[in-house]
Amino acid sequence: MRALFARLIDTFRRRTLDRELEQEIATHLDLAAADMQARGMNAEAAQRAALRHFGGVARAQETDREVRGFAALDAVQAIARSVQRGFRRNPGTTVVVIVTLALGIGATTAVFSVVNGVLLKPLPFPEAARLVALYHRLPGFGSGDTGPQSPATYFTYRDQGRVFEDLGLWTTANVSVSRTGEPEEVQALRLTEGTLPLLGVHAHRGRLIQKEDDVDGAPNRVVLTHGYWQRSFGGTEDVIGQSLTINTAPYEIIGVLPASFRWLNTTPDVVLPLRLARTTTVGGNFGFRGVGRLKPGVTIAQANDDIARMIPLVTEQFPLDTGVTPEMWKSIGMTPNVRPLSEDVTGNLSRPLWILLGMAVIVLLIAWTNVANLLLVRAEARQGELAVRQALGADRRRIAGELLSESVTMGLAGGALGVVCAAVGVALLQRMAPTALPRAADIGIDVIVLLVTLTVSIVASLLFGLLPVLKFGAPNIAALKEAGRSTSDAPGRHRTRNALVVTQIALALVLLIVSGLMGRTFVAMRQVAPGYAGPAEVQTFSIALPVAVVRDPTRVTPIYEQIAERLTQVPGVATVGLANNLPMDASQVFGPVFVEDHPVEGAGPGRRVKSIGAGYLEAMGTPIVAGRTITWTDIRQLTPVALVSENFAREYWQEPTRALGKRIGGLPGKWYEIVGVAGNVREVGLNQPAPTVVFMPMANRDFMLRTMSYVVRSNRAGSPGFLRELQQAVWSVNPNVPLAKPRTLEEIQAASMSQTSFALVMLAVAACVALLLALVGVYSVVSYIAAGRTHEIGIRMALGAQGRDVRALLLRHGLSLSLVGVAVGIGAALLVTPVTSQLLYGVGPMDPLTYGAVAIALGAVTVLASYLPARRAARAQPLRSLRSTP
Amino acid sequence: MAQERTDVLYGTLALLILKTLDSMGPLHGYALARRIEQISKDQIALNQGTLYPALRKLQHNAWISAKEGETDTGRQAKFYAITKSGRAQLEAETANWDRATSIVARFVKGLS
Repeated sequence: MRALFARLIDTFRRRTLDRELEQEIATHLDLAAADMQARGMNAEAAQRAALRHFGGVARAQETDREVRGFAALDAVQAIARSVQRGFRRNPGTTVVVIVTLALGIGATTAVFSVVNGVLLKPLPFPEAARLVALYHRLPGFGSGDTGPQSPATYFTYRDQGRVFEDLGLWTTANVSVSRTGEPEEVQALRLTEGTLPLLGVHAHRGRLIQKEDDVDGAPNRVVLTHGYWQRSFGGTEDVIGQSLTINTAPYEIIGVLPASFRWLNTTPDVVLPLRLARTTTVGGNFGFRGVGRLKPGVTIAQANDDIARMIPLVTEQFPLDTGVTPEMWKSIGMTPNVRPLSEDVTGNLSRPLWILLGMAVIVLLIAWTNVANLLLVRAEARQGELAVRQALGADRRRIAGELLSESVTMGLAGGALGVVCAAVGVALLQRMAPTALPRAADIGIDVIVLLVTLTVSIVASLLFGLLPVLKFGAPNIAALKEAGRSTSDAPGRHRTRNALVVTQIALALVLLIVSGLMGRTFVAMRQVAPGYAGPAEVQTFSIALPVAVVRDPTRVTPIYEQIAERLTQVPGVATVGLANNLPMDASQVFGPVFVEDHPVEGAGPGRRVKSIGAGYLEAMGTPIVAGRTITWTDIRQLTPVALVSENFAREYWQEPTRALGKRIGGLPGKWYEIVGVAGNVREVGLNQPAPTVVFMPMANRDFMLRTMSYVVRSNRAGSPGFLRELQQAVWSVNPNVPLAKPRTLEEIQAASMSQTSFALVMLAVAACVALLLALVGVYSVVSYIAAGRTHEIGIRMALGAQGRDVRALLLRHGLSLSLVGVAVGIGAALLVTPVTSQLLYGVGPMDPLTYGAVAIALGAVTVLASYLPARRAARAQPLRSLRSTP
Repeated sequence: MAQERTDVLYGTLALLILKTLDSMGPLHGYALARRIEQISKDQIALNQGTLYPALRKLQHNAWISAKEGETDTGRQAKFYAITKSGRAQLEAETANWDRATSIVARFVKGLS
């Protein structure tokens, strides 16, 4: 206890005690020398003997400090000093190390913050892990894994479900809101009353939609999103109770959602109740998405089992649609597909993002090897100093600590700068790829990202700090003998460094190959014949004619025709057409299609069904392969005609022309005659094969459509002035109809490619950084080796070697490094690229052309990187090289 | 090999210092080192540098005290002297040492 107290006091008298001890040791040595001299030694020998007898002076001082104070505290100070000294001695290296690390860590942090925001963070709802999306698999409709719900399934599951706390149904729609004069197109989220409560959302102002609002015939009520409230009402408090005109009908504003409310990939402005009527519900009407909250402890599998149990109950509770037989209903083959709600957001983005993270880690590894290399060089230059210090009795642990803490300091500095780079990168990313990245608001540098970055920085720097410690931390007599000169040129001397450069080249090659494959994918997608022509000259927009705007259903189709006619008169317009959906659009309609001369049991495979007005195929530039197109006359007279895509025709009748005159239909008996065959269109995406499509007239005896997309071919497409003129043309027919989603076909196409182009840009940046770092690595190693061999080169040249011999000598080294690196890299790439095949199109993951081109290019530039220092060495004057004391 | 020199047994340097100071009175560092070597008839290879950290430890425990003084040759130096609690410690350590050596001696003899 007393000893501890004494030690504590001593820590405050550090300087004094140090000085005192120094004096004491000096006295000791003087006395000892005097003693020796008295015993007959000469003065100089006596002094040496006294020193020898004393042992290490530094060691004694060090031990004294350890005994005296709290060593850790001292060590920290000493280390800080030595780091400072290291920086002053070699600011260039320090800056390069920090910048290199910042690049690597910055890239990794940026991509990780995206992965974190999109894939790892839970959705912004309480206990989001229990939220599920409810889908059906409906093979009879051809709608894949994410088949929709219908009111009938919703009512059944909500009434009879055992594992759900609650279920909701929702959909989005564009509605027109008029506040001052011109109607404004806003996005509405329509949902059942249980949806928001089950998500755990509470009103920011007023109240949310309740049971009494969500019944057929209830008064019109609307809830605003926070953003819309701010934008359109300036966030005023008295908004509750005000009236809002939606689709020409007055709605009472009852509440405002909190600012934190996000709903998957939608951006709603207003929330409306679905007001489904239980009494008129029939089995079909699959047009909604389901969401549910599982009871605690319930698994996805249990939820699927529960739904599977209830599917047969649906037809017991609700009648089938008219004309649908129970056999046909059964043949849809409905099975449940319940999955975590978060998958609705991430979709198929999860794999590309993990691949990108992997690539960013490769950049980090390359940066790491570069830094490790630089530090090795630096430690080697210091090995004389280190050896002297050890010989004088410095503690090995202390030296190791110094080397390590120097690296960690640089690692942390690099990490901090990396975070700054990442912040800039993330901001750019959000600006660059808003369509490719969901949950953009959740992407950012938060505590988790910072912690990961901190860990990465520390681990990375400890690892590259250990290399010099392991190599030069041990006492090295040879280094001492050569007094600061680099040690002998033994063959194994550059082994670590060579291994690091080979690793770099190999890693860079992997990245270059992956981004090369991505580039080939991009080119392949651009070269695909999409089935339409000149997408930049096709202006599209959609128009809705809800009941509130046009009450009489028989008036709807004539209005669409009238609008099309007016649009044709706008200057610069070549052709106008319309369809219920466009290629690569989210909303697609599927249905069973029966073929008269190919009868099948049940419903047969589901097909993509497009309802079109006249001029659609012409405006899109899709060729008519055989027969004719659908005309306004057909539509007006409700003629039962249809068009099919070429692949549909070939599937049943081999030749497109043989399809003409055959009959198809959504129900057996209600036949439509095929009057034409249209060219195949890549409706799903440029990288997906063209699906079979059936084109029906936009109106027939059974139904007509209230939302249509116009396609207008004009060389003025995309200009704001043109859009205004189109809008005026529409308003001249009906002033309550706003234009929604104005886009050119090229924009739609680019959006569908956004994931590919996003991955391409990211990979290209990563590959460039990797290439640059690898080149710096090769260059610095060859330069370093050349510098270390200056003396040897001088001798060689003095003995008659020519410049080119010297050059060849060094080039051979660079060449062998790059050959080994390329070979290793190709091996690694063969292992890695299959993982990326999901992202690829039109090129195999082991495309020999990409591999060959990248390998040759990388080999060439690395050889070039070693050529420059080799040439410099070869030009050296032999005499000067000889004289230089290396 | 009559001149074989042993390293100072770990932990016994403090005992040697206390004993020397107790029997010789106040000494400065070098004299202390020399005395220890002389008493052992130069059989102990004292790394003289290790003396000072040991002295510091003893001071922390207040078993010795330090005072400036003058050597025979008139040089300023720090003189170390054993304190009262140092003597008590010395007695305890000596007893310990005796007991330990006698046990070891018994073992070594008994087994050979």
